[in-house]
Amino acid sequence: MPFSKLDTAAVARTLSQIAEHPDDVVDAFFERREEVELAPEGDAGGLRAWREEGFAVRLVREGLTWMASRDAIEARPFAEALRQVARAISAASYPEPTLEVGPPDPVAAPELLDFPGLLSRAVRAHHVGFPLRVSVRRHRRWVQVVGPRLVAGAESESFYSCMVESSWGRYGTLLPRLSGGAAEEIAATTVALFRARQALPPAPFRGPVVLAPHTVAVLLHEAVAHALEADTLAQGGNPEAAVGVAMAAPCLDVLDDPSSAPEGVRRTTDDEGASAVRRWLLRGGIVEQPLADALWARTSPVFLPGAGRRGTRHLPPGPRSSHLEILPGEASEADLLAGAAEGLFLPEASRGALDPLTGEFALHLPYARRFRRGALAEVVGPCVLRGRVADLLTRVVAVGSQAKPAGAGWCAKGGQKLPVWATAPSLRLEDVEVAP
Amino acid sequence: MSQPASLDEILRAVLKRHLSDAEVYVKRGRSRRLERTPVTETASISQERAWAVRAGNRRASFFAAATGDPSPGGPWPEPVPGHSLELPEPAPVPAWNPPSDFDTPLIGEREGLKLLESLGRELEAELPKARLLRAVLEDGSSEAELANSRGLRAATRGRISTLYLEAAGPGRPAVSASLYLAAREPRRFHPTALARRLADRLAVSAAGAAPERDSGEVLLAPNVASRMLAGLLPLLVGPGPGSRLTGARGRFGSERVTLIDNGRLPGGAFEAPVDGEGVPTREVVLVEEGLFRQPLLAWWQEGAAHGETSGCVRRPGWRDLPAPGPTHLYLKPEPRTPVATLLGAVSQGYYLIDATGSGTFDLAGDRFALPVCGFAVQSGRASAPVAKAWLCGGIGAFLKGIAGVGRDLTFQPLDGMIGSPTLLVTGLELRAGAG
Repeated sequence: MPFSKLDTAAVARTLSQIAEHPDDVVDAFFERREEVELAPEGDAGGLRAWREEGFAVRLVREGLTWMASRDAIEARPFAEALRQVARAISAASYPEPTLEVGPPDPVAAPELLDFPGLLSRAVRAHHVGFPLRVSVRRHRRWVQVVGPRLVAGAESESFYSCMVESSWGRYGTLLPRLSGGAAEEIAATTVALFRARQALPPAPFRGPVVLAPHTVAVLLHEAVAHALEADTLAQGGNPEAAVGVAMAAPCLDVLDDPSSAPEGVRRTTDDEGASAVRRWLLRGGIVEQPLADALWARTSPVFLPGAGRRGTRHLPPGPRSSHLEILPGEASEADLLAGAAEGLFLPEASRGALDPLTGEFALHLPYARRFRRGALAEVVGPCVLRGRVADLLTRVVAVGSQAKPAGAGWCAKGGQKLPVWATAPSLRLEDVEVAP
Repeated sequence: MSQPASLDEILRAVLKRHLSDAEVYVKRGRSRRLERTPVTETASISQERAWAVRAGNRRASFFAAATGDPSPGGPWPEPVPGHSLELPEPAPVPAWNPPSDFDTPLIGEREGLKLLESLGRELEAELPKARLLRAVLEDGSSEAELANSRGLRAATRGRISTLYLEAAGPGRPAVSASLYLAAREPRRFHPTALARRLADRLAVSAAGAAPERDSGEVLLAPNVASRMLAGLLPLLVGPGPGSRLTGARGRFGSERVTLIDNGRLPGGAFEAPVDGEGVPTREVVLVEEGLFRQPLLAWWQEGAAHGETSGCVRRPGWRDLPAPGPTHLYLKPEPRTPVATLLGAVSQGYYLIDATGSGTFDLAGDRFALPVCGFAVQSGRASAPVAKAWLCGGIGAFLKGIAGVGRDLTFQPLDGMIGSPTLLVTGLELRAGAG
């Protein structure tokens, strides 16, 4: 752990000098990151390594934030940053706390070297062959947050990302670990995308749809998690007003719980040092606890902090989800596909987009499959599921009984790109519009 | 504190690892970021210092980058076979004087916040009850140094400001609109003009509708035309598909189309004497009066396609691997044609003032669809607002249908700075859907 030698008590004492008002939020955010990537075969820079460390000092007072960040963890830059953030006596010289951090490990990621081969073999096992460009990257991050009165425990995250490109498209995902199972899952998805590459988009359709766990995760990330971020809610008016609103069908329970995320990315505190909360975003379809960080939690007693995340030390934190959990229901896979009406099964979503002002939502699907009388049928090409969030989520009629890790990916908002994770079952929605 | 190692010391240390090519890049930067929302206000200042090393030979290579100063001892990753690396030779760099605005200090906290505040005020004055949801101003400057094992040495400086604006119109549910701009200095952002542009977008989006399917003369404002050019970049960069759209006589577009890329464009946001690998930049004419001359080629692509190479390898930051791309790519304006003349020439058609998304460009299938908003035009006058519409057609038809070019060249930060004046185009359709 690189921050085990950091004199957090000295940092806290120094920070206390700029916290002049009782309601001031003052903190120092220290981070170290390491990314190691195996580039696609033939590309220059075979093994690529990025390492960075630095800190940010922040003061929040009455809705105003001042922040200073540096690309080094050293005493003098820290004192300079404090001076830039302090409001009252900015000409004063601050003590320079000793900031000792552990040396970085040697650059090595042997597990990356085998993965492209493992993936190629997994694709061939499906009796298909096509050229693939595979890049695989290991992401590691260590975080230490220090406040004038509270020193949070150090946190660390480690996970992998994989990008597969071919002449017919690309597919990217995040993985808690590299394994044969992970290779098989990526292979199955890329083979499905390959086989659907020439399928024609469906004619405009309205009827039942069944969303596989991956698609459910993307849908609820956009339509519930983003929609219930305190700053997003504030764009439409008073963010507190969302609490108690019936936003979805009563069978839908959605939580954000960073402490139950996959091993390696589990968190007990957020990027502001507040305890991570098992947060009911929707309980029985009703909004219970929107996502908030320290700044938004100060605006209303309704909001709990603990969902403050930052993509980098150079940008301020904001309320974001980490690990969405959709509680399973009682419907079996057969129940979800049952019924006389023809429907669409949506195994994958490539992206989703929400307009927070109008509530209009679009989920882009690279392909889909028709289902009839309980059985999956022919494949159709790219299409888009559209609707208004409030309307769409009330159309959920059944929740699958098997929840599984799904829909892990990158989420970008306000220039900050963050990994997001989910555990989700399948869902059935009635009377939904899907069009090319 | 010990002195950082020189670039030559790093190069020597890396080359001892039985590698034939090595390059060291160091960058120092500082930036101020100011953000305003209806509820919050944030002022931050960052200082960055970091480096990147590429090294390898014809069989194997690695890339390492980190914050702080590089040390001869690394630690360096092991080069991985199957990934070769070659670096450019030094070349004479034509004389270039750094523009004086490179030396101007970063915008102050109060001045920057005042600019954002005035944008909100101006927007409300233009369109009552419209509000700024988010405004972010970033202002930064940097210096970089580069050395490679072939003897190339280069030093560059950069100065850039960006402004992101997101606004909501009156009424419920409110429509929204956003703008993203880049310039060398924040003083080039004019609140009144920007507020007017946002207000136009909001007003049109709130009141406009899309025609089911219509064609006619279409006037594309620079923002729409630049998006179109950005969609064509795969045809213009690299030796691959370059001349796919050229006819038997090498015709790529109408004779009014001249496309240029210029890494040292005076006043350009990325104006520099050398590119991200230290190769001299220059003006390259890609399409001249409708005839395809050459694609944009990096030094290692010499001979891979007809044309001369140029310094066109971009390196936005220390984390990025150098990659070819446009710096300031633009359609040459016609200095004697005001926009009013082009608008007056539209008897029945559309004036599209903004693209509301990035659209889809199927270069192999020769078709595109771009989401747009604007006005229907009759006899040179706006007759009705248009929104949620898609400009659709063939890519070749767009290029060959350019019948008029204005003088109002404007750049947008897309994939590099992409610029265009207002264009009068025939042969395209406006539809209610992208299909």
